[in-house]
Amino acid sequence: MSSRQRLCVVGLDGVPVGLLERLANSGVMPNIAARIEAGHLRSMRASLPEISSVSWTSFMTGAQPGEHGIFGFTDINSGTYELTFPNFTQVETPTLWDRLGKQGLTSVVLNQPATYPARTIPGVMVSGFVAIDLSRSVQPLRWLGSLRRQDYRVDIDTARARDDHDWLFQDLDYTLQARGAALGRLWDEVDWDYLQVVVTGTDRLYHYLWDAVENADHPRHQQAIDYHRAVDRFVGQVWERFAAENSDPEQRFWMLSDHGFCGISQEVQVNAWLRQNGYLSLDEGGRDLAGIRPESRAFALDPGRIHIHQRGRYSRGGVASDHVASLKAEIADAFRSLRYHGEPVIRVVHDAADLYHGPRADSGPDLVLLAHPGFDLKASPTATEIFSRTDLVGMHTWDDAFLLAPYPIDDEELWIGDIAGHLERGFGN
Amino acid sequence: MKGFTLWFTGLSGSGKSTLTQAIEPLLLERKINVEILDGDVVRTNLSKGLGFSKEDRDINVRRIGFVANMLSRNGVVAMTAAISPYKAVRDEIRAHTENFVEVYTECSIEELTRRDPKGLYKKALSGEIANFTGISDPYEAPENAEIVVNTEHETLEESLDKIMRSLELMGLIPAGEDQHTSPEEEVVIRDRLQALGYL
Repeated sequence: MSSRQRLCVVGLDGVPVGLLERLANSGVMPNIAARIEAGHLRSMRASLPEISSVSWTSFMTGAQPGEHGIFGFTDINSGTYELTFPNFTQVETPTLWDRLGKQGLTSVVLNQPATYPARTIPGVMVSGFVAIDLSRSVQPLRWLGSLRRQDYRVDIDTARARDDHDWLFQDLDYTLQARGAALGRLWDEVDWDYLQVVVTGTDRLYHYLWDAVENADHPRHQQAIDYHRAVDRFVGQVWERFAAENSDPEQRFWMLSDHGFCGISQEVQVNAWLRQNGYLSLDEGGRDLAGIRPESRAFALDPGRIHIHQRGRYSRGGVASDHVASLKAEIADAFRSLRYHGEPVIRVVHDAADLYHGPRADSGPDLVLLAHPGFDLKASPTATEIFSRTDLVGMHTWDDAFLLAPYPIDDEELWIGDIAGHLERGFGN
Repeated sequence: MKGFTLWFTGLSGSGKSTLTQAIEPLLLERKINVEILDGDVVRTNLSKGLGFSKEDRDINVRRIGFVANMLSRNGVVAMTAAISPYKAVRDEIRAHTENFVEVYTECSIEELTRRDPKGLYKKALSGEIANFTGISDPYEAPENAEIVVNTEHETLEESLDKIMRSLELMGLIPAGEDQHTSPEEEVVIRDRLQALGYL
């Protein structure tokens, strides 16, 4: 039994509160059911936009995008309009683990999305999605060898899994097992105070087979359910060990997701809408935003981040600063009234000036669209149709992430960025 | 890529071999050819028969320097892990070796005596072993080593990090490798984001 006041956090990427509760109640996830029984399960808001890189960065820093500077998986070079891929080195806000380290506390962080390339923390970090090279995903580097020998996998092969669902399930199982083995080793060999592991296979499964999770008649339903059983066993093993080694474990065990999920009714191409309505134009044959024309007044980055093509901010931008507010209002109004077969598409159009604050707020979008569940916002610059479908069946949702906390948190507006503060208070701060 | 010689010097037990072995995979990861010339290994092969008199020690160190220089001028990173106690000989090798990087593994005798995994310091202190560097033979610490790691107060990771960063800053290994996303990585990231419907 450890005399230290340890704290353990398990993340389940993309798991919505409703699904978690349903699978717990139906006996598919008995270990999680026991944790729910002992703790306090509630819904929680994700970041805006509601995607993992933004939400998890808000979790790990306790800050919002205007402060930590991560607004999506992609950004754009304001000179060349080429897509850029923000990474962990651009997050200047201290993380929870940095702050704990200042108090002499050691963290083990395994598979935290949006932490690539790994940087030194007081403890051990193994990056999660979109980690590419394992040698840049591990800090300190002395853990690299053992992870390699264990054939540790950061993620499934998403490119292959999208088309090959037999492979998807094999890879999900393998990755979860490898994660468990790595966790066991780190647990054994690091004298930690704070331990966190994130299961990301749930998000991958939902992107490709959300319908199989939801629909009992789907041919892959049983496999989807079995994967949840495996995730539950994983959580059960973490819990059992934590409970065996620590006093008062119920008060020091947390679980959360970074956003929810639902099925896709239609994909909604925001740039196609901007083009059709005269706000965006690309050079003939232009395949990406590098071909944006100076007369373009707005463009979008995934999922629904609209940037006004402002003079002085973008090399070809022509919108004068005193026209930005009226243009934002015009576009916001238009999206508010967008319908698909009479059904409203957009739930909220956020003005980024109201949404974001902090030193990095100016590098973010000008408008952020939040769609109604079922309308999956996309930002392909070349899409010609506003509404379409692909083989993807699941999309992220904003306000049904889950939090399983040791005590009730009565805050209707609780969002993922609030959790770091609660965890720090778990160490008496 | 240019080769170079990473010359570790320090007392017995100060971490020279541990560091060279830990650095080797990090360099290999970056597709850099590397060879370790460990003091103990060299003595059983290249310098078999030599003793521990000053003259023999100097010959041993010069031989290591000769081989290290041959390797590094052919694009290999040669890492040496011999005590190499005498400054004059180290400086002589430095003068003849292109891209010579001296790494001093600093550690106090008190700490080394406490560690003493082979019991050598105990034997040296009791007089059982003669000519033992740091106890009964001199060790001339470098005054201008390119890199100094203090293995008494730094963790292995901290020392490793210091060495790798220094080599990056000297331009001897690709700089900023873990700071930016390479074009090759961007291709992979695009594929992954595309597979999940983000692009």
